[in-house]
Amino acid sequence: MANDKELSDFLKSAEKRAFKRTAYAVRDEDAALDIVQDSMIRLAEKYADRPVAELPLIFGRILSNATMDWFRRLKVRQAAVQNFSELESGSDDGDFDLLETLEAVDGNWAMQGPSERMSREQTLAIIDAEVSALPARQREAFLLRYWEELDTAETASVMGCSEGSVKTHCSRAVHALAKALAAKGLKP
Amino acid sequence: MNGSRTHRVDLDALQARFALRVASRLSEQSDKLPHDLSERLRVAREQAVARARQLRLAQPATAPAFQVSQGSIALGQPTPGWLRLASVLPLMLLVLGLVLIQHLHEQAEIHAAAEVDAALLADDLPPEAYGDPGFVAFLKQREQ
Repeated sequence: MANDKELSDFLKSAEKRAFKRTAYAVRDEDAALDIVQDSMIRLAEKYADRPVAELPLIFGRILSNATMDWFRRLKVRQAAVQNFSELESGSDDGDFDLLETLEAVDGNWAMQGPSERMSREQTLAIIDAEVSALPARQREAFLLRYWEELDTAETASVMGCSEGSVKTHCSRAVHALAKALAAKGLKP
Repeated sequence: MNGSRTHRVDLDALQARFALRVASRLSEQSDKLPHDLSERLRVAREQAVARARQLRLAQPATAPAFQVSQGSIALGQPTPGWLRLASVLPLMLLVLGLVLIQHLHEQAEIHAAAEVDAALLADDLPPEAYGDPGFVAFLKQREQ
């Protein structure tokens, strides 16, 4: 059972990632803050008595559900329509060699000099923008799997899909990011 | 076939490494959230923790009122038996007193009724005489 400090520590460690993940999805900082706040309250009200180890997965689910609720409400209001399917990218990268790109990126990783570090802020901003530009499901799978560090099964559980779909989404996300960053001459 | 599997493993490993590197850059980026956003997140977190604390504290309030009346929650210690008895004693004395008063009242009523009955029975005049209208009229006339 998580006590106040453990709950606070967990939320502190997760809040910024949760906010960014939600902001990527809803593309509205105020709405993202509201969703994160609602999710925190829901976690505190209903699941604060659960072991600390279970909180990341539970919070991930609550956040995903709250985000989906936000989209449903948005659709009902018809203020804007966010169609996930229209964000799916086409497969126009026939001659793009992912292995080659990843190997090149990996090899250059330790070779960043001071001048490269100067543009670090810009690099971070570009990475942020590229992640934001990923199709919604790919981005969600990528962030849950590699940023929230959930395993494939947990990611599938949060996203409500199969583990195979998670792997496919993650692979496509990495593919798209590697391609986009390579095109800009950047390495993460 | 073996070569293909090795290629797949290499690709998976590189993919995971690349993804984790991107994730670490995202963490770096998210650590630099504007101050107002960080503050709003902090406030939201504190509200959530306060809510959890509030709900946790509300649970002991449903414990028996008997213990609350003795201040055992405030003391945080189990109540001794004699203290428990002492808190019930005034109530028991009150109930006992009320029962005693009721009993004495009933006894007084019975005693008064017995006196009236005894006086009627001991009189020379039979009790039925008081039911005769002529005798009642005679008594009234005598009083005047």
